[in-house]
Amino acid sequence: MSHLEHLDAAAIKSGDELPAVSIPITLQRLVMEAGANRDLSLIHHDASVANATGAPAAFANTYFLMGMFERLIRQWAGPVARIRKIGPLRMLVFNSVGDTVAFKGNVLSVETAPGRVSVDIWAESGRGKTVTCKALVQLRG
Amino acid sequence: MSEPSWGLWGRCEETKEYLNQVVGRSTGPDPVEQGSIRRWLEPKEFACDIHTDADVARAAGYDDLVAPASMVFTYGIAAYRKPGDAPAAIDDEPTQIQIPVVFDVPAPCDKSFATIIEVGFFEPLYPADVVTCTSKLVDIKRKELKVGKGAFLRQEDTYTKQTGEVVAVSYLDIFRFVAPRSGGDA
Repeated sequence: MSHLEHLDAAAIKSGDELPAVSIPITLQRLVMEAGANRDLSLIHHDASVANATGAPAAFANTYFLMGMFERLIRQWAGPVARIRKIGPLRMLVFNSVGDTVAFKGNVLSVETAPGRVSVDIWAESGRGKTVTCKALVQLRG
Repeated sequence: MSEPSWGLWGRCEETKEYLNQVVGRSTGPDPVEQGSIRRWLEPKEFACDIHTDADVARAAGYDDLVAPASMVFTYGIAAYRKPGDAPAAIDDEPTQIQIPVVFDVPAPCDKSFATIIEVGFFEPLYPADVVTCTSKLVDIKRKELKVGKGAFLRQEDTYTKQTGEVVAVSYLDIFRFVAPRSGGDA
């Protein structure tokens, strides 16, 4: 996203879909992510430790999920928007190595005057819905 | 290599003594800067110029290039090692992320996992900002789930920058429990 396109609150309505973002979870991505976000817990890069928690393989950490939701919102709302809140983010199913996870969302409500939009966002994979979340976005800074 | 710890063991009465208390404070060792932002964006395939180009960020109303909002967590994590620490040994316990309600608050539980997190964002983070995270235990709810008997502990984290301005406030719910086969008493 290299320009200052932004959404107009008056043009948004409840039920509008956010363009989905899909990403494959590989061990290399999880290692890159752990190094970058500093959550070095073994469950996120060591299969045997992850297995002990009931996960099928190493799985994505919360900071990655938060960041991917931020990417989903940012790509939809544009660079001028301010993300005011993300959550409650509920982890339902592990997002593990070998899964391709799609991040999706739709508009819940719009307050036109202040340009505030509430969105329902979630992640899903072949295991079904893996994370549910909400966010509050201010369209103009 | 030792087994990773899943939390500090203790009695229920000890857990309750920590309610509404500051249970942890950490300051990130590195100020906000472009290199760490780029490395954070990379595994997410996240491309947005306000995070990499100061001119675009200013045109979007920021003072400078701005860190992604949810990167505040990363900038508030203390260093895992510092000069002068004892050299690591092969059988040391693995280093894990610092979550005070897991590792600094005693509870009669030997396993834990995060369930819910929510975060409100306030001031943006700019290059040279340094983040401090102050953690409080704000709620305890005993519960029995399929995985075992234990309690939800709610941690409130307030992230401030060097000016004292609040960058973000998050709430993290951790379920700490004893799995039935481990025979503990939750």
